[in-house]
Amino acid sequence: MAAHTASLQHVASRGASFTAAQRLRIATVARDAYLAADPSPPWERPFGEAALDVAYRLARHAGTITEQWYEQIITEGMHPLEWVEVVGIVVASVPVVAFARAAGQPPPVMLPPEPGAPHSRVATELAPATLNWVPVAAPADQTASVVQALSALPDEWENLWQLAAAQYMSDAQMADPQWNRGTLSRPQMELVAGRISLIRECFF
Amino acid sequence: MLSWSSTEAGTPADLAAVAEGAGDGGLPFGAELVAFADAVGGVDGDALVRARERLIAAAGDAFMIDAAAVLANFEMMTRVADGTGARFPVDTAVHRTALDARLDIARFTSAR
Repeated sequence: MAAHTASLQHVASRGASFTAAQRLRIATVARDAYLAADPSPPWERPFGEAALDVAYRLARHAGTITEQWYEQIITEGMHPLEWVEVVGIVVASVPVVAFARAAGQPPPVMLPPEPGAPHSRVATELAPATLNWVPVAAPADQTASVVQALSALPDEWENLWQLAAAQYMSDAQMADPQWNRGTLSRPQMELVAGRISLIRECFF
Repeated sequence: MLSWSSTEAGTPADLAAVAEGAGDGGLPFGAELVAFADAVGGVDGDALVRARERLIAAAGDAFMIDAAAVLANFEMMTRVADGTGARFPVDTAVHRTALDARLDIARFTSAR
């Protein structure tokens, strides 16, 4: 799937706060956490390094993350935009791994890291949100919370939505209840989506 | 989304398939899709192989690949929501009360 190749290239590129090598390490932790046969429990922090511990918990125990834990990590010194970037890296890598596992294909191989320093590219103006813990692009709360979730970091936001358009449907297609992928009907898609979301204990 | 799209399609969905993994949701290949989703959400590799093969036998390779893509998408979107503390606006949350109760969502740590 071209969108998955693009997402792995995105992971191996420089980020706003992390180098490409750091991003690859975060993505590798997320991949291994997702595939682990015997994962550590959600309350453990197996790496003692905030970015890696957040990636691990989000990849394997996402439904257990609380606002209190987010605040704790930020209080310990992680910048909120670093948190957003870790989320962006995890959601750039986990679906690629998940698709391969589901379809019976080999796990994806990470690409070599791009050299260079972080690029510091963030939204022109940031704002606190009432619909998310994390800061978002201003003005806040004008769109759905999942839509504005990664908007503070345009590169992460763009990668998320190019994946969604390929794996599920685009915004334009979403408004049409009759739209389908040519194989699954729309209700069949929503059945699968609803069941995996319930299994992951995601209230959203 | 399932209720809305299935009603629009003229086949209102049975939410037991989502809530309990029971039945087929009133949809073609619904039972195979639910079993595939359950296996992807689980840790038993052999069970995933069986669920994948059952889905392919019923609906074909292309159907399984597209189901895997949708599952991958919601492995992504659930983490976007849970990783950023995504909430519903208060006015829309009110309309979800019955559905939340049917799916027992209040027990989720992620419920905000």
